[in-house]
Amino acid sequence: MTRFIRKAAAIVLAIAFMAAPALALDRAAIVAQACGGPGSMTEAAAALTAGVATASKDDAAWAATLSGAAIERTLKCGSPPVIAAPAGARDAATLAPATSADGTSPLLSLKNRPLFETARAAATLFSGVTQGERGAALSALERRAGSLPPELFEKAADAETDVGLKERILGVGQAALLNSPDVSKRISAIERISVSADRRSLTQVAGLKTDPAYATDQAFKAAVDAGVASIERRLQISNALNTLYNGLSFASILFMASAGLAIIFGLMGVINLAQGEFIMIGAYVTYAVQEVLRAAAPDLLDWYLIVAIPIVFLATAGVGVFLEATLVRRLYTRPLMTLLATWAVSLLIVNLVRVGVGTQNLQFVTPSWMSGGHLLMGDFIVTWNRLFAIVFAAATLVLTWVVLKRTPLGLNIRAVTQNRAMAGCLGIATRRVDMMAFGLGSGLAGLAGLALCPIYNVNPQMGSNFIVDSFMVVVLGGVGTLAGTVIASLGVGQINVLIEPLYGAVAAKVIVLLMIIAFLQWRPDGLFAVKGRRK
Amino acid sequence: MTVAILVEALTVEFGRFRAIDDLSLAIDYGEVRAVIGPNGAGKTTLLDVISGVSRAKTGRILFDEKLELTRASEAQIARSGVRRKFQKPSVFEALTVRDNVEIGLGGAIDAVARERVDKTLETVGLAAEAGRLAGELAHGQKQWLEIAMVVVSEPKVLMLDEPVAGLTDEETERTSALIRALKSPERAVIVVEHDMDFVETVADRVTVLHEGRTLFEGSMARARADARVVDVYLGR
Amino acid sequence: MTDKAHILSRAFEDRIFVGVAAAVALAAVVVALFPGLSGYRVNIAGQLACFALLALSLDLIWGYAGILSLGHGLFFAIGGYVIGMHLLEHAVATTGVTPDIVQFMGWKALPDWWGPLESFPVALVAALGVSFAVAFVFGWVSFRSRVGGVYFAIITQALVYVAMLLMFRNDTGFGGNNGMTGFQTIFGAPFQTPGVAKGLAATSLLVLFAALVACRLLMIGRFGRLLVATRDDETRLRSLGYETLRLKLGVWCLSAVLAAIAGLLYVPQVGIINPRVLSPELSLEIAVWCAIGGRGRLAGAVIGAVLVNAIKFSLSATMPELWPFVLAGLVILVALIFPNGLLDIGRWRPTWISRPDVLQPGDAKP
Repeated sequence: MTRFIRKAAAIVLAIAFMAAPALALDRAAIVAQACGGPGSMTEAAAALTAGVATASKDDAAWAATLSGAAIERTLKCGSPPVIAAPAGARDAATLAPATSADGTSPLLSLKNRPLFETARAAATLFSGVTQGERGAALSALERRAGSLPPELFEKAADAETDVGLKERILGVGQAALLNSPDVSKRISAIERISVSADRRSLTQVAGLKTDPAYATDQAFKAAVDAGVASIERRLQISNALNTLYNGLSFASILFMASAGLAIIFGLMGVINLAQGEFIMIGAYVTYAVQEVLRAAAPDLLDWYLIVAIPIVFLATAGVGVFLEATLVRRLYTRPLMTLLATWAVSLLIVNLVRVGVGTQNLQFVTPSWMSGGHLLMGDFIVTWNRLFAIVFAAATLVLTWVVLKRTPLGLNIRAVTQNRAMAGCLGIATRRVDMMAFGLGSGLAGLAGLALCPIYNVNPQMGSNFIVDSFMVVVLGGVGTLAGTVIASLGVGQINVLIEPLYGAVAAKVIVLLMIIAFLQWRPDGLFAVKGRRK
Repeated sequence: MTVAILVEALTVEFGRFRAIDDLSLAIDYGEVRAVIGPNGAGKTTLLDVISGVSRAKTGRILFDEKLELTRASEAQIARSGVRRKFQKPSVFEALTVRDNVEIGLGGAIDAVARERVDKTLETVGLAAEAGRLAGELAHGQKQWLEIAMVVVSEPKVLMLDEPVAGLTDEETERTSALIRALKSPERAVIVVEHDMDFVETVADRVTVLHEGRTLFEGSMARARADARVVDVYLGR
Repeated sequence: MTDKAHILSRAFEDRIFVGVAAAVALAAVVVALFPGLSGYRVNIAGQLACFALLALSLDLIWGYAGILSLGHGLFFAIGGYVIGMHLLEHAVATTGVTPDIVQFMGWKALPDWWGPLESFPVALVAALGVSFAVAFVFGWVSFRSRVGGVYFAIITQALVYVAMLLMFRNDTGFGGNNGMTGFQTIFGAPFQTPGVAKGLAATSLLVLFAALVACRLLMIGRFGRLLVATRDDETRLRSLGYETLRLKLGVWCLSAVLAAIAGLLYVPQVGIINPRVLSPELSLEIAVWCAIGGRGRLAGAVIGAVLVNAIKFSLSATMPELWPFVLAGLVILVALIFPNGLLDIGRWRPTWISRPDVLQPGDAKP
């Protein structure tokens, strides 16, 4: 190991003296070294790693091929040495087609294997054709960044065309600089690393506390301590962002589930206890769409969530309209009886699904465009599946707002909500408005079911996980105001997620309930209720 | 004559809407006062604040020159002798007519109380219906039952919110006779009503409210002659 | 004197009530004295009596005061848990055997503060006191801010839901998911002793009978009429000088205490109490019993509870998967066709022809 470090240091010095323009690699010499004993193989790998930064693109590609051949043992050290391949052997130095493919492959020692892997990755970083290849090479180098010459990354970053990858390369380069022999360079590297904070940089910088320089060099110690503090602070911020983000996605689902409840409650004074089951129906219809696409149009499978949007909305709205026309309408003056009747409906739906489909969790395909996420800061990853729920809820909010404020149906809903008798006198078919609004509310719940498919479990009982929270949102937000529902969803969603890691999920629910009861002491009609003469 | 209800600089707001705006008013014992005005003038709100249903933003209301009604609860106000009949007839439909009046009286139902209930039922002409459920009564009968529930406790201040709304002419006639009979030196009666002819037959004085303020106060005959009143209300 | 006669004549007005009360009393006598009854039937009769008492307690608040609680399982559970703690302490005191709960909770012995509950009177007072206190605090904050109707219903549902989540946790300290079971003795006698089951069932039936009669007298008296007035038009009642807060709080606490008594009687008969009695579904079912039997007439609650649970018992032996469908069907049937419960079959006419929403005189409002 010490020998390697010395060698690496020598290479660094060598490179430092080198001229900047492309410097041809001495291919023949390196091939000869690669065909030598373990010691000379180490030198070959080091030469490759050191050389690619200043070599031409052609040489870098050759370096990648040669290191690969050494690793996969297709390098045949005959005379001349060749690289064997199914398409025919090629000369190891020129890559020209060769006639003979004789000779033995040199044995790659456990120590030399990672060196050649590093060499291959370094060469690929320069010569890789696709961004993916170069990205993968960088990931391989990242783990050993400390043992690599920092100039390698600077050069690679200069040559890199993709902006995102360029950023990443620079970041890894910083890590490499941490181990520079020059203390001032190390300090500036610490300072720069501390800006882009994640858990790995914390390990890197905190690891320097055991470095001999930490004990001896005051400036270095100060830089490390400041770096650790700064990264920890940033990590805390990124954790908070993570929590907020999860809360936001939960609130999005809650909003979609409660908006319908609140509209219906404002309009007809009834709470639909089957709203949770409408969410469930939405999720099951989404599943059905996925399965139909899988069978009929596999090309579209990736887009099943989008394809399902209109279908889910219409299906759940249809069930809602049916429920309104057959049951809710007849109980319109008895809101408490409606609670029981809609509960019976929810019991019916849950058990029909249980018997018909089964109780197991449904398996959803994660579309390629929704897997993963974007690392925004520290540990804070904006995962696409949650972002989908948030964006989807935002779009739903805008659309609902447009429906309520800009369409004849919305005008009718608002009119009937405010004064049913008067609206009826003005010729508005109030019962028809009820039915449409019930359909709208149910459709929104169905969309909530669609949006939660990629995030939460989908099974016949899932509705009950959301229903109590949705009720709380309606109580908190008041009726007939979309803004109240939005704020209350955000509040309930965030409080749940904020308290959960501290005191557990149950405490979160307890606190939400207590807060709502306390809140009702202050505003019994909800957040945005318009005060008026008591009727 | 002493003042039964004294309203001082009263302001009531619902959100940004000012229902009553710096209103001052005195209603004496022994009089029947009609409060009239166009819709939204603040008439029902005034009754709401006097009976404690709504709260004032500023100002105060004194009952009997002692009790500050703006601070008391609805039940306290009612028990002190300030009673009110609502605009929408509201009787307890699942109870009998007699039960309704007994609840209006409150307290234990002894022989004296029963006699008072009987007498009140007689006064409003519902003695024959005492055993029926209130929900079965006709609209006019419900109005009278509600008046009975209020007057059985012999209130010092009696507020009637649209007592003849939806009644036939004959029923209206009977109601105005009833109200005149309720007039007494120990009682102030406040009537909110749209029917001007009815107001003229029962009221000693009228207060015309407009946009939460007093526009006019005086006899009905003078109110009819007042140019401002005619403008905002009568001369539509 | 005339007042008393008045009440009694009203009491006998409703033949159904008299019939139900007599049937309950008769059942108590039969269970206590008739030797041929199988232990299973005695147990079922006792459980039904507890459910009927629970339904009765809800009917007071929903049927008369018009306040629907979807969280009455909470008070039932308070009674059940307190008697559970008493029975465990009692088992340790009489048999010396360490109950299972000590093991799975990872304790050395039962918590010290359970100690006083070893005495039954203390346990009884504790159960009634805790349920009263919880009801009082919750009722006071709710009724004070005039929370009612659907709001009250869903907040009570949230309350019982949160209580269930709490009790499912082991840290809460009442046996978590497993609850309490393995009761050995009651009043010094092992549960297997012949007569214990009979005694429990007969006591439940007698308590039900007493509660029925007492509630009936209360409800046809002044208090009951004021409750009905609150239900019909609370604002009006307040304007007549009544503190409706006191009325509502009074009946709410009474109802909670009755529910706790039902739980107190129920747990020794089934031998277990766990957080599942706190599930919102059970609390909803209680409301369903009342709705099916008919609200605001006490006898209806008893009939509903007995009928629904009898069907449930017989189905759960043969076709348990059918039960939810039957229950849902019953509720929808009652909601659509018999707005005042099955007691109305007698004066039934097709309600979708005559408007279903129109109130019949004397009917309970929602």
